[in-house]
Amino acid sequence: MRPQMGRTTRVKKLQPRAPQPILRQDQIESDEYDSLQGQYKVETGVEKSEESEIHLQAALAGTGSDKETEEIPAPPAQESSDFDYDALYSSVYEKPATYIRFSQTVEECTGCQYDMTTEDDTFLKAYNQKKSPNSHLSEDDFERIMESYEDTAQIQAPFASVDQTQIPFDTMRNSLSKQLDSKYQMYAKDIYDHWKARRQDTANRPLQPSLKFETQPDHDDGDPYVCFRRREIRQTRKTRARDVQSTDKLRKLRKELDIGRELIRMTSQREEYKRDLLATEKHIFEQRQKVKEAKNRLNIKGDDDDLINQVPRKRKAMDFNNQARGQQPAPHLRIPSHRSDGRPLDADLETLAEVMARKENIINKELEEKVMKHRQWNDKHIDVTREPLPPVHGIGNGSAFRSATAQYQLLTPPSSVASDSSDHPSPSKMDIDPPAFRFSSPLDEEETQAQPAYRRRFGRLGRLWIDRRGMTAVNKEPHEIESDRWKYDQDDDEEQPVYEMDPYSTTALRFRSTIPLLSPARRVQQAESQRPGISSSPAAARTVSVSQPAPT
Amino acid sequence: MTTGALNDSGTGSPAPKQKGRATVDTLSIGCIAMVEKDGRPRRAEILSIKETKSGRQFYCNFDNFNKRLDEWVPTARIDFDQDVEWPSVEKPKDGKKNAPPTSKKSTVAKKNVTKRAVPTTREASAAVSDGGTPHPWTDFVDSQKPTPGPDGEEKLTLALDLDATPGAEDDDPMDVDEVAAKAVAAKTDTQEEFSREEEIEKLRVGGSMTQNQAEISRIRNISKVQYGKYDLYPWYFSPYPEAFTEEDVMYICEFCLRYYGDIKSFTRHRHKCTLQHPPGNEIYRDDYVSFFEIDGRRQREWCRNLCLLSKMFLDHKTLYYDVDPFLFYVMTSRDEKGCHLVGYFSKEKESADGYNVACILTLPQFQRKGYGRLLIQFSYELSKIEGKLGSPEKPLSDLGLLSYRQYWTENLVEILLEYNEKDERCSIESLAQQLAMTTADVEHTLQALKMQVYHKGEHKLVLPTKLIERHKASKEKQKTNPKRLIDPTLIQWKPPVFTASTRTWGW
Ligand SMILES: [Zn+2]
Repeated sequence: MRPQMGRTTRVKKLQPRAPQPILRQDQIESDEYDSLQGQYKVETGVEKSEESEIHLQAALAGTGSDKETEEIPAPPAQESSDFDYDALYSSVYEKPATYIRFSQTVEECTGCQYDMTTEDDTFLKAYNQKKSPNSHLSEDDFERIMESYEDTAQIQAPFASVDQTQIPFDTMRNSLSKQLDSKYQMYAKDIYDHWKARRQDTANRPLQPSLKFETQPDHDDGDPYVCFRRREIRQTRKTRARDVQSTDKLRKLRKELDIGRELIRMTSQREEYKRDLLATEKHIFEQRQKVKEAKNRLNIKGDDDDLINQVPRKRKAMDFNNQARGQQPAPHLRIPSHRSDGRPLDADLETLAEVMARKENIINKELEEKVMKHRQWNDKHIDVTREPLPPVHGIGNGSAFRSATAQYQLLTPPSSVASDSSDHPSPSKMDIDPPAFRFSSPLDEEETQAQPAYRRRFGRLGRLWIDRRGMTAVNKEPHEIESDRWKYDQDDDEEQPVYEMDPYSTTALRFRSTIPLLSPARRVQQAESQRPGISSSPAAARTVSVSQPAPT
Repeated sequence: MTTGALNDSGTGSPAPKQKGRATVDTLSIGCIAMVEKDGRPRRAEILSIKETKSGRQFYCNFDNFNKRLDEWVPTARIDFDQDVEWPSVEKPKDGKKNAPPTSKKSTVAKKNVTKRAVPTTREASAAVSDGGTPHPWTDFVDSQKPTPGPDGEEKLTLALDLDATPGAEDDDPMDVDEVAAKAVAAKTDTQEEFSREEEIEKLRVGGSMTQNQAEISRIRNISKVQYGKYDLYPWYFSPYPEAFTEEDVMYICEFCLRYYGDIKSFTRHRHKCTLQHPPGNEIYRDDYVSFFEIDGRRQREWCRNLCLLSKMFLDHKTLYYDVDPFLFYVMTSRDEKGCHLVGYFSKEKESADGYNVACILTLPQFQRKGYGRLLIQFSYELSKIEGKLGSPEKPLSDLGLLSYRQYWTENLVEILLEYNEKDERCSIESLAQQLAMTTADVEHTLQALKMQVYHKGEHKLVLPTKLIERHKASKEKQKTNPKRLIDPTLIQWKPPVFTASTRTWGW
């Protein structure tokens, strides 16, 4: 990388971004090119001590020059000679048509995890010879039993190789009967003896060789057979604040433990006092008995006040309590009587769903109130401005558009803050919920597809208006020539817009025929859009505005 | 070039080593002797000694030869007429001397480690010329048979006693454990000189390691592996259960990669094993190969088995930590038996250093068939999909470096020729972007190929005639014999996303 100095020219730093000219060797003087060599010490990425290996050097020399690339010698693989590949790998593979997707683990693909050895084989053959042909133990079943024994040993005595724990047969039989069919019981003892003998041969280690895993992190660091260590958790960054935090936590923990200990000490003391009290009372009772006897003997008459407790016990206890409260010697323990959620301590914990539901209720209620307020405020008000605010749902019964069909078929997207993420609202539920809000005036396209709807309202001077919405437009697209006419038109609010219509088109004729003839005193203006009367875009101009006499 | 690579030799040379004549009986572990290799004497370090029927054998590591060429050598190949270098004696512990092989040596590890750390004089420049001579592999393979035969004395007279496991023949396993623990502790002590902490830290963040100080791991422990249709002869140590070091053959199921020392067990396993492809999702398929993506966390056993297998052929791979933080991209070839593992590369789920490959291997039976290029190309195709520039984790092995060099060279020359024909300029960064390589890798490759020059006050890229010719030749060859390539349109893959907890917990 670092060009060797000693040349007369000062070498500019090589910038990776800088475009360089690309030349062929024959485009440059050959002795000049040769003199340019050796400017860089090449970084190979191979370990330094290995870089000098002769075979590598030879091969690298081959890569850079016209010598054939040298091959690095390595012990080669050979086809196995005395090995029946087809017998051992017998299953045939069918290539699936699509890319394979597979997530089973090796353990799931290899059946019984115990593989019997040659030694087991010898034993099993001899064993089966002694048995009648119909009670022979198959290799599969033998392996199942051995697997069960090995598993049980692993669970019951994971350190068997160290402490030489022998799992007794009863334990083995019990777990065997839990894991496998009862038919295996008849072999249990014999196989157990074989298993035990084999374990003894291998110093009570698992019968199948296993990898050496980490046991003492400090000691087997240098043992090359120990592999696949768990990676330690990435250390959280140490800061002074974190240190202080931990000290506080430790201090608090210590205090709480002290309190706990004190509490137990005092409880034990209380119990001791109780015992003493009992003993004293018993003593008093015995003494009184003696007094009574003495009285009887000496024939002393009198009230037996001295034989009973003068002061009622209850009051005494209360006194004691008062006294104790006054002094308060024990460390002050405040047990909160309510949890943060305001429920008594012993009540069930609140579920998240409940909290969410409650919050939603509150929000809904607030919304309802707002809607009510808005409705009151808007009472009797009819908005005929050019760009009316989006109507609040349910505003003024009379002025609302009413759907011509029973319900809207609007899809609402699933709420982003679902009360339960796994619980998607069912489609039916979505249908029932009417759309409460619209976030902006509906788009023109949307309108044309919506259900037809009508609204009746009174305008100035008591005129009756019928507004329609969602009617199928007569002309889907304005003709090019038509739209061209408006191309240079300026919007002018003062000017009364003129709407193109063909008075002889069949649609218009049919429409007009449905309107009853009425007195000319009142007219019903029918407008299609929500912005009655005025529309500036040519696309909206396709709507038809008809003035007709309307009934009173 | 050769001389450049030698500049680490002879620096900071320590106190001169003691030299002298040795005999078969005094030649001990840690000695450096002249041993015949490929028909000529070479300096070799003795790493282990064993008794066989035919006499004593020495496990030798040859100077400037890769460890995979280490071998058991009979006495006849050692030149006792020349001086040997004795291991430098350093205050022998527990009064034990530099004794002949049969005695216990708890200081062996220390000596060897010391030797390793001190650079010895290398003789590479002299040896370069004959690098390409053919190797008598049959001899080599035969020499690797580990056991002396049925007379069954001690197999490794001397295997480093430090690492002796609680032996089955010992009566009291507690005692043995203690001994083993002490031994290991002693070994750990000696290693502290080499900043154990730093080494472990390095292991923690990467998938490969620069050196494993533990001595036993310098010696190949598995002699032969039966895998699929093939017999494999391992190159390096792999931490399979120690019991397998005593087996002549270890059997590995080629689909689940489980390992068996007992042929009956292996047969039984094959009877039950239903896997016919790597246990993950197929993310690429053409008529030649398939790629599977396997999550180390979900397929822990399979990925561990894969690591154990590949460790036999990767010197710098470490199995120190578990497989959870890695994804494994496994290339298979298909036939009527299933999808056979050809090679793989592992990749950190989140690499702080921007590596797109941690370890990469083509199994020996598939090497030199162009599969390595496919693996490398695939790793870069994934980086392209991720929109990242990637680089393989260092250190690379010798074979790894060659494969990458070849891939980088081919692709850079291809692009640069186009620029040259159009007479356009090109920046290193643009090359990096087009190939999803890091700018550092582009720079180093251009420098290694002698393409980066500073000429007339300007940095220029020069395409050497030899490379152009070679490129044309390979283009010509491709017309008749097309090179296999990954078709990026057949990749069905999205960069996996791991949850916040996986990131926090580091796997
Ligand atoms: Zn298998």
